[in-house]
Amino acid sequence: MGIKVALVGNPNSGKTTLFNGLTGSNQSVGNWPGVTVEKKTGKAILGESEAEIIDLPGLYSLSTLSLEEEVSATFVLQQKMDVIVNIVDASNLERNLFLTHQLLESGLPMVIALNCMDIVRKRMEDINIPKLAERLGVPVIPITASRKHGLLDLMRQVELIVGKLRPSMPRYSAALERAVDRLEPLLGSRFLAYRFFEDGKKGISAVHFDEPVLHALEAVMVEESRHFSVDADMVLPAERYDRILSICAEVLAKPVQAVDNVTDRIDQILTHKWFGLPIFGSVMFLVFYLAFGPLGTWITDGFVGLIDAFFGWIESGIVALGMAPWVSSLIVRGVFGGLAAVVGFLPQLAILFLFLALLEDSGYMARAAFIMDRAMRRFGLSGKSFIPMLLGFGCSVPAVTATRTLDRPEDRRITTMVIPFVSCGAKAPIYAVFAGALFASHSYLVVFSMYLLGIIVALLSAVLFKKTIMKGSSANYLMELPEYRMPTPKNVLLHTWERSKGFLVKAMTVLLGAFIVIWFLSYFGFVDGTFRLLENNEIEFSLLGYLGKFILPLFRPIGFSDWRPAVAILTGFVAKESVVGTLGILYGIQGDVVQNGSLLFSSIQTAFSPVQAYAFMAFALLGSPCIAALTAMSKELRSRKWFAFIVVYEMMVAYLVALLIFQLGSADTGSLLSAIVAGGAILIVFATVRRVLKRRGNTCGSCHGCAIEGSCASKPEEKSGKS
Amino acid sequence: MTLKDIRPGEHCIIQNLHPNNLRKRLIDLGLTTGTGVLVKKMAPLGDPMEIVVRGYLLTLRKAEARSIEVEKSEVTR
Repeated sequence: MGIKVALVGNPNSGKTTLFNGLTGSNQSVGNWPGVTVEKKTGKAILGESEAEIIDLPGLYSLSTLSLEEEVSATFVLQQKMDVIVNIVDASNLERNLFLTHQLLESGLPMVIALNCMDIVRKRMEDINIPKLAERLGVPVIPITASRKHGLLDLMRQVELIVGKLRPSMPRYSAALERAVDRLEPLLGSRFLAYRFFEDGKKGISAVHFDEPVLHALEAVMVEESRHFSVDADMVLPAERYDRILSICAEVLAKPVQAVDNVTDRIDQILTHKWFGLPIFGSVMFLVFYLAFGPLGTWITDGFVGLIDAFFGWIESGIVALGMAPWVSSLIVRGVFGGLAAVVGFLPQLAILFLFLALLEDSGYMARAAFIMDRAMRRFGLSGKSFIPMLLGFGCSVPAVTATRTLDRPEDRRITTMVIPFVSCGAKAPIYAVFAGALFASHSYLVVFSMYLLGIIVALLSAVLFKKTIMKGSSANYLMELPEYRMPTPKNVLLHTWERSKGFLVKAMTVLLGAFIVIWFLSYFGFVDGTFRLLENNEIEFSLLGYLGKFILPLFRPIGFSDWRPAVAILTGFVAKESVVGTLGILYGIQGDVVQNGSLLFSSIQTAFSPVQAYAFMAFALLGSPCIAALTAMSKELRSRKWFAFIVVYEMMVAYLVALLIFQLGSADTGSLLSAIVAGGAILIVFATVRRVLKRRGNTCGSCHGCAIEGSCASKPEEKSGKS
Repeated sequence: MTLKDIRPGEHCIIQNLHPNNLRKRLIDLGLTTGTGVLVKKMAPLGDPMEIVVRGYLLTLRKAEARSIEVEKSEVTR
């Protein structure tokens, strides 16, 4: 393999854009801006040979907080690359040069790609690039990653410095250098010595050292730290920033009068004390309205019409070919029927993805997290969890994918696990049919209560996870607000396309197999003792029908008195829209029950009591999500253990809630006793929830050693308790 | 006095950072002793807060702001 070039830089400094520019836009970069979750590699031409370009997750410092950052830091620490290309956001020079200094200490050949010079010029500032290169001791190449300016210069510079020693290293104060001089022989590398000085054992954890060496290192540190007036962990950062300040004073020319700041003016409105929340609400409503309202429905209907026409055409073609009935059934009902159900989501997803890309590229997403953090913290989540959960009202699939914007793996996991409880759009027809049939004048209240139930269960589950299985993980919040940028159409469309493509590919691969299995279960069965292919209206005899009858006893305690709803729930596994459709088939209704729910009203009125219906709705809401959502979840959780856990958890919660509803609801309502018991149970649950919630509120890891321990108002009862 | 007590629009200078689980990150982001900070605003719900430090916008929760000891000043740097 040729030369390895690693792209390292702060989050949101344009690494992925540069990566695309260097390796060609045909590279699949489906990630969200600023959130490169894993390292990605691509190839670029370097002189006469090829270079491997490695895009690492963005990081502020080699002292890491999250797993993604660790990927990058470990990579740098183990020196797996030949050249570092450090992308520096010129509009934020001071902070960006901090990581630059850490990288300079590595001694590896390095080039600085100075991005965002256009913003600097807009602010009427100027950077003396030759001077900056001289002070840092490495070449500095101005680039505009989004327009591919300067990339050739950059690669030429990379070619020049490969394998060459860097002429100079940054030097700090005499006391610091002396300490590092003493550490270096023990570690065998000056870079590791700096890392140990800064972070102790954690700083060099990527390289193995024996116990005696570590002891010797600590002994040196104890001696040397006496020479500094500030805390040991602040010495090196403070000196780096001192050096950066002197560099900035030399190279950065600022206008005498500050230029009117656009970001400031926009934020005066968008994060305004009073207007901030209503504006945020309106933006979210608008996104929803466009994706799931008349426009989205209109596009979806048109799209579904096209698909149906296409599949109808294929169906007639297959029938004309005169294939075996089971082959045509497999193709028409299994493959295309299933695909149509899933691909039908595509237009709405694409609209959602488009707006997400717009919000994110412009910089508003960060403001949304800033605005919502206070509310989400009550449930142990950070402000960034809000958008994914909100998207869950539309469809769990994009919602789960959106959890990638969260920076902590724990937050991502918890948010992914609770999203399916939020009632998605496909469950709405179920409520419409049942509430319409049995609750007539109060139907809207019943539907609303379903949405509310979903939200409550989702938020309480989040609290529960934080309190139990993910104990000690406190959702941190520390976020930079980027400058507002005009989203470029190309970028927005690229992101939309990448995400939509990901969805399509999944539909074509993973889901296809599942559809075939479910088709087999639905269209094959024993009729009068012979196993054969079934007609559309014979689902009663299908294997799925038998399965429904078989598991009915399990469903009896939660109010199912008939095998038909049980089968409907099972088909909901493919797509929640199928629940109503299946009921239509099972009750022998002619016509489209999904479009016109009132056709089902009389059958439901005879088969369900209001309490049974309510329990059924709750079970459909909270139980296992559809297969598309499950696939997305397993992809984001990246762990079979967690995936299995959440599926079992969701089924159990659904069962318990439905059980509670049915048992309490069907008890003799006149009986005073049951009312008291129910009231008492609700009070106890409420009090417990309140207590759990009240204990949250601060984000300190531990009170131990905290300087304000005595005067702290939010100190938990038990002193060692993490909150 | 801590960063939490500084009102929007006021400047201050960092004196010390008390231990918390984000201490090292705060330092790396430029909140070192002697650094000037401008408190820009509070979020609409009163928390987190938005500050200008080293020329960029950073938002942090009051829980962390409470562990940053500061002294009021007239202007930043």
